[in-house]
Order: sequence, then C-alpha cells, then structure tokens
Amino acid sequence: MMDDTTLIYLALTLVILLISFALLGSIAKGIYYDLALLFMFITALIIGVMSQIDYVLFTGLTSILGITIKPANNYMINKKQDAIIKNVNSLYYATGYVTANLFPYTFKNENPPEDDEERMAQSPELWENIVKSLGFPFKFHVFSIGLNTQSTRDELEGKRSYQEYQLSKALQGNSNETVITNIQRQIRILQSKIDTISKGEKPIATIMYIETTSVGISEQEALDKLSSQISSIQIAFSSFDVELKRIVGRELYEMFKFNFSLPLTIKDASDLFDQQQ
Amino acid sequence: MIFGIDYAISLFLILLAVILPISYGYILKFIIFLIALIFDIFAFSSRYYSYLVGPIFKSHSKNIILSNEDAYWLSASADCILKKVNDKFIATVYILIPIYVSSTEMDDEHKLEFSEKVSRAIGITKDPARFTTEVLIMNKDEYILELKDAIAQAENEIAQINLNKNPDKSRLDHYKGKSAMLRNLLDSMTKVTSYEEISYVTISAMGFKEYEAVAEAQQKARELISGLSTIFGVPISVITGNELLKFVEPEYLIPYTTMTAQMNKDLESKVI
Repeated sequence: MMDDTTLIYLALTLVILLISFALLGSIAKGIYYDLALLFMFITALIIGVMSQIDYVLFTGLTSILGITIKPANNYMINKKQDAIIKNVNSLYYATGYVTANLFPYTFKNENPPEDDEERMAQSPELWENIVKSLGFPFKFHVFSIGLNTQSTRDELEGKRSYQEYQLSKALQGNSNETVITNIQRQIRILQSKIDTISKGEKPIATIMYIETTSVGISEQEALDKLSSQISSIQIAFSSFDVELKRIVGRELYEMFKFNFSLPLTIKDASDLFDQQQ
Repeated sequence: MIFGIDYAISLFLILLAVILPISYGYILKFIIFLIALIFDIFAFSSRYYSYLVGPIFKSHSKNIILSNEDAYWLSASADCILKKVNDKFIATVYILIPIYVSSTEMDDEHKLEFSEKVSRAIGITKDPARFTTEVLIMNKDEYILELKDAIAQAENEIAQINLNKNPDKSRLDHYKGKSAMLRNLLDSMTKVTSYEEISYVTISAMGFKEYEAVAEAQQKARELISGLSTIFGVPISVITGNELLKFVEPEYLIPYTTMTAQMNKDLESKVI
C-alpha cells in the first residue's frame, strides 16, 4: 500500500514525463524521436517499479556494483543489503531482520471469541517450543504506538460504511461468491475492531520484527550462518501465523537505528515502513 | 529539499532541450533530454534514499560512509543511551521486566491470563515503545577464563614438581588430578551452549539539550514502569551501566570467550 507522500512524489515525477511527451516534437526528430520515446518509457517503468519494490532495485544495484554502506563506526551493511556486520577481535557478527507481523491480530478479529481465547492460551507454550527449538540468539520486537481513540474509531466506521456500500453494489450486480465473502469478511473485521474500541481497549499500531545475530571467523561464514538462522526462524515462527519476510535495503538500516533510538511519533514510524510491512 | 532540487533541474533541462536552437543539432537536445530523465528518476528515488545522496558524492570508494561516529554513547547518569540526530538529542531508556515463569507450570486459565497481561502491556503507553524478548547465549566468559587460569596454574605446579630429582608423588598426583578435573569441567562447560531469556521495553525521548532528552526519557520510563508493575506484579527497573550493552551490542548476544571456546571444541571434534 503506497502512502500519501509517495503518491505525491509519483504524480509529480510522472508529470515531468507528460510534459516531455507533450514537448517531444520540439526536442527530437526522426530516430532521436523514437529513442526519446523509448527512454521515456524506460523512465516511467523504473519509477513505477521503484514505487512498488524499490528495495529490489536498490539491493540489485548495490550487489552488482559491490557497494557497501557504513552506518556507524565499527558497523557495515553488506552489498546484498540484508545484514549488518560488526568485526570484534577478528570475529564477525552478522545481524539480520525478519518481519513478523502477527496476522492473528487481523484474523483473530473475525474468529469467534472462544477460538480467540484458545489461541491466546496456546501462545505461551508455542513461544517456549520455539525458544527451545532455535539454538541461537534472537530478539522478538513489538514496536507499538498508541493511536487516538476517537479518530481511529471514525476511520474504522468510515471504512465499514465504504465496505457496506461495496457489498450492496456486489449484491445488486450479481458478483461472484468469492467477492461477496471477501467483503463480508472485511466488514466483520472492521466491526470487531470497532467493538474492541467500544469495550475500552486502546487502539495501537504495531510493527513486529525478529532480529538474529550469527558469528563467524570470516564475514562469509557469519553471513552464511545468518541465512541459515533466518530460515530456521521462518520455519519455527510459521506456527504463529506470521508473515516472515527477510528485511533488506533501507528498512534494514532503519531497523539498525531502532537499537539506539526509536521514532518518536506515528508519522516518523509510518514514513519508514510502507512497503515491506 | 533534494526532491525539489532534482525536480527543478529535470524541468529546467527539458525546457532547455526545447528552446535550444536546432542549429546546435538534435543530438545535443537529445542528450540534455536524457539527463533530464535521469534527474526525474533521482527526484523520485529521493523519497526513500535522500540519506544516501550526500555520502555518495563524498565517498571515493565502493564503501558509502553514512557516519564515522559511534552509534550511541552512554549518558552521564548511565541509565540511558544517547544519539544525536541533526541538532537534537534522543535518549533511549531500557526497562527490564523480570518475568520468570514457564508455560509448563501454568494451567490453561493461567496461560490465558498471562497472554492477556502481555497484550495489555503492549497497549499500555501512547508513546511509541518497543517490547522485546531476547534469547542470548549465557555469558560464561569469566568462569571459562577462571577455569583456564586454574588449569594453567595446576600444570605449572606439575612442571615445577617434575623439575625435582625426587618428585613428591602425592603432590604430583594431586595436581594431575586437579588438572584433569578442571579440564573435564571446561569441556562440559563448552560442550553445551546455555541460553537466557530476557524481556525488556525501550522508550525514547527527544530534547534540544542532552539533559533535556535524558530527563524526558526518564519521566516516560517512570510512567511506563508504574503501569507495567501493576500489570505483571513484579519489581520493574531501568537497566543501567554495562548491562545496557547486552541489548545494544551484537557481541554481548554471543560472548567472545564462550563462543571461541565453543568454536575450538567444534574444531577439535572435527579434526580429532
């Protein structure tokens, strides 16, 4: 989901291409005209891809060119942009991050309460099994930000009304069963969230992620071990219904900075994470 | 700022390509147009990568240096870490939640109650806070070093006794036995890696002066501590001094001597 700022950037940069297209006749003729059209298309493609998956382009570029980044004294981000390396007394410590947004926070809202309770009761045991099964250090972080109750409620009610409108349109237009079920599911989730707020629970936004560190006598050994640890984490935590994606690129750098200072407002935090959540 | 500059350059170059007389040739107009497109891409990429622009131009190698300074420093009060961002200071406090319970000693009702407590704790503060559970390798460094010293001492005694023409057999046996026992102890210490689990909360505050940021962070921490103590019913405290390093530095997750002893053991088992 693209945020508002990115949308503005995208619109403005595409306006440049539109202006170029309108004025192209005065810039190039013949073969140059065709080439200019081709490059305009490539530019639009690059901007479009970047707006969706900038980290793929960025990590690809740094990997090909062998670019590393030094975020602070004694630390280095490798060229694949998927690990932060620290060299201490000739031992290499590689740290990597995995997203772990607990989907049950969405799913549990559409489940009946008794199922919800069952899941909650199971979670301490599930957690201990994971800790026992993983033979390496890791950290599970839940970064939470309190939201304004009234504005969150208003926003949820607005979304519910929109979904209800979509549902009535789908029912009138004889849409297929899958579409209707999906809209009904969305309405259930939104209603459940509104009910939770009505009961007095504070709405919060969360960013959840797992951090793990490996050690090796060479950089490559540490990185290889890190990849294997991340795979183990992805397998172990799958029982929690979490989306587990390895964090790369600029978001890795932001995660690194989290260890020393946290974002102070919800806007600061949401500006940092919009693609890989 | 960077977006504005790139955007203006792109727009300017397009207009330049348009107004440049044809006598300069279409090739020059075309090249200017291509540069304008590149700046258009730069303008969009500044949405995410503006922090890299300055360092890229300054770096003369494939290593882009964002900062040569330490990532943080410890406050004078030793209860938070500080970082300077532009002209502001950000102080971060680490709060320990000492929970020592296992699901094996809980019935279903207690498990549910515990999960609800955790859920409540996460939503306790309006300020952004990070709740972490960390599993780290237990630091046996000091104990391993003590054992190694004791072994060296025992072996030194054996060597001294053996230098005599008529060595004291009982003393020799005593030290040989001691050395063997200590070696066995060291072996068993390094054979198995022990882990510990710690839960903590991190909260940050900003100030234009170092002391302002620290005072604000301490205030936020006090509020959080009182809420968390009520939920969990345990004495919650701020982490101070060197203990903070466990949560910040990667080498404290995997202590050096413990790890090298483990590596040596692994190597021995592969070679011998």
